[in-house]
Amino acid sequence: MKPFRPPQTAVSPSARRRLRVLALVGSCVLWAAAGVTVSLDAASQAADGYQIIANERNPASAASREFLADVFLKRAGRWDSSQSAFPVDQRSDSRVRRAFSLSVLKRPVSAVRSYWTQRIFSGRDVPPPELGSDDAVIRFVASHPGAVGYISTGPIPAGTKRLEVR
Amino acid sequence: MEPASAAPAPPPEPLADPATDVTDVRIHAFVSQGVIKTTNNNYLARSKRGSAEFSEVGFNLTTSLSPDLRVGVQMFAHELGPLGNYTPTFDWYYLDYRFRDWLGVRVGRNKIPFGLYNDSADIDAARVPILLPQSLYPIDHRDYLLAQTGIELYGNQRLGPLGQIEYRGYGGTLNLATPPPPAPGVTIDKVDMPYVYGGRLSWLTPVEGLTAAASYQALRFDWNYNFVPELVPVFQSVGLLPPGSGPTLPVQFRVKLWVTSLEYQLGNLLVAAEYGRWIGKFNSRAPALLRPHTVNERYYGMVSYRVTPWFTPGAYYSVYYPNIEQRDSRKDYQRDLALSVRFDLTPNWLLKLEGHWMNGTAALEASMNDVKDVQELDKNWSAFLAKTTAYF
Repeated sequence: MKPFRPPQTAVSPSARRRLRVLALVGSCVLWAAAGVTVSLDAASQAADGYQIIANERNPASAASREFLADVFLKRAGRWDSSQSAFPVDQRSDSRVRRAFSLSVLKRPVSAVRSYWTQRIFSGRDVPPPELGSDDAVIRFVASHPGAVGYISTGPIPAGTKRLEVR
Repeated sequence: MEPASAAPAPPPEPLADPATDVTDVRIHAFVSQGVIKTTNNNYLARSKRGSAEFSEVGFNLTTSLSPDLRVGVQMFAHELGPLGNYTPTFDWYYLDYRFRDWLGVRVGRNKIPFGLYNDSADIDAARVPILLPQSLYPIDHRDYLLAQTGIELYGNQRLGPLGQIEYRGYGGTLNLATPPPPAPGVTIDKVDMPYVYGGRLSWLTPVEGLTAAASYQALRFDWNYNFVPELVPVFQSVGLLPPGSGPTLPVQFRVKLWVTSLEYQLGNLLVAAEYGRWIGKFNSRAPALLRPHTVNERYYGMVSYRVTPWFTPGAYYSVYYPNIEQRDSRKDYQRDLALSVRFDLTPNWLLKLEGHWMNGTAALEASMNDVKDVQELDKNWSAFLAKTTAYF
């Protein structure tokens, strides 16, 4: 019986060529990422017309954009107080959802839908409930201590408080 | 502008109580139908004449039993040429408890996190191409690679200005069906998989939308080859079986797989590249028959851009070498240039068209092409696919 040959460790010239091509592709991806990020950051500053509200009993008065993105994408499930976080979305065709998505999630609603399609059918998670109006979001947030949502700009409704984005 | 109406406002939508979520039952489903037509060679199905044996259907149900405890199940049936035959299977099912953001545990049958897209390879609606790059995500290996039954630990951790890491580690086994006879006079039985384990570490970098990942998987297959008695002396005479061997040949096949991944997804642009190697080791008394050690190589680069909400073109170039020591003849490689277009006809219904320009025959099956060796097949060939999917 022949013994097992050890795994190949020598890198052939053709493999080196492929690695160089991959390194070049990787560099291009990083370069493009850096450039487009700058331009979209500027664009997202112009996107406005929403405010983030949390239940008035939530001790937090501000949160980082990254944390809020994690909550709405369900990567993070708890507030700093250890209370469970319950994000609530608006309909995907609403203006306030588009503004929130670009500004906080840094991606268009279509990309978020794709993200959730992937998560739903691979069994990872389900998206936050989608409500049909600011009023529905306000009622939800006001009645659930860990809830967080976004609504059009205007007075802060009773039972909720504005959450500043750091 | 919405028309004025004197009708009363609609009642508020019924909501789950997130404190208990006992009514938070989610149901989702998808149905796909595709066709495939190839030139020169059959691929995945009897495709030279055109084949509609390319269907998928699935539905799932998930619910929260408490804020940190979820259960879910998905049924799935498919047909792809000789595979699937619409046999319903539990695609995944789990009981998931998340202690903290940095630690969750799920038990059951879970999709395997390998590369960027293995755990969502069945989900046509989640991507632009009809076929994911087949070098990394071979659709005819679905039953072996897609899900494992066992335990998974997962979580994510913010790294301050350095971004965030996500990790998933798992161990268990796979459900394996006994494969069909590989050759006349040879059958397989006692198929077993003692273990499969692995994990994926993803780094969500500080550059918005840029993710780097590394995945590893190890597994072992055991089975017996059974030869008809007349074949044994013939194989012994040409050195394929050792002298004195019987008609049964026990085999252990260990496989280690790794892949590194880079994805940039921002706005409507997606760029991805992955490179991996799969290392297989046969342990048997017949090394002349079963090559003891093989390393194969797989990589691709892919790009897509959503031009409008309903139109997304994409392309990829995918390369596969079954054995890194042999790269010269047509059966030793498969190069695939693919162009795809996706039309989102409605928010829940899509149509895709795709063309593949292939060089090499390594991804082809001899049995489907009426030959003994894929070296005899046409080196340059094409595949054209269309697929429509409805999902909610």
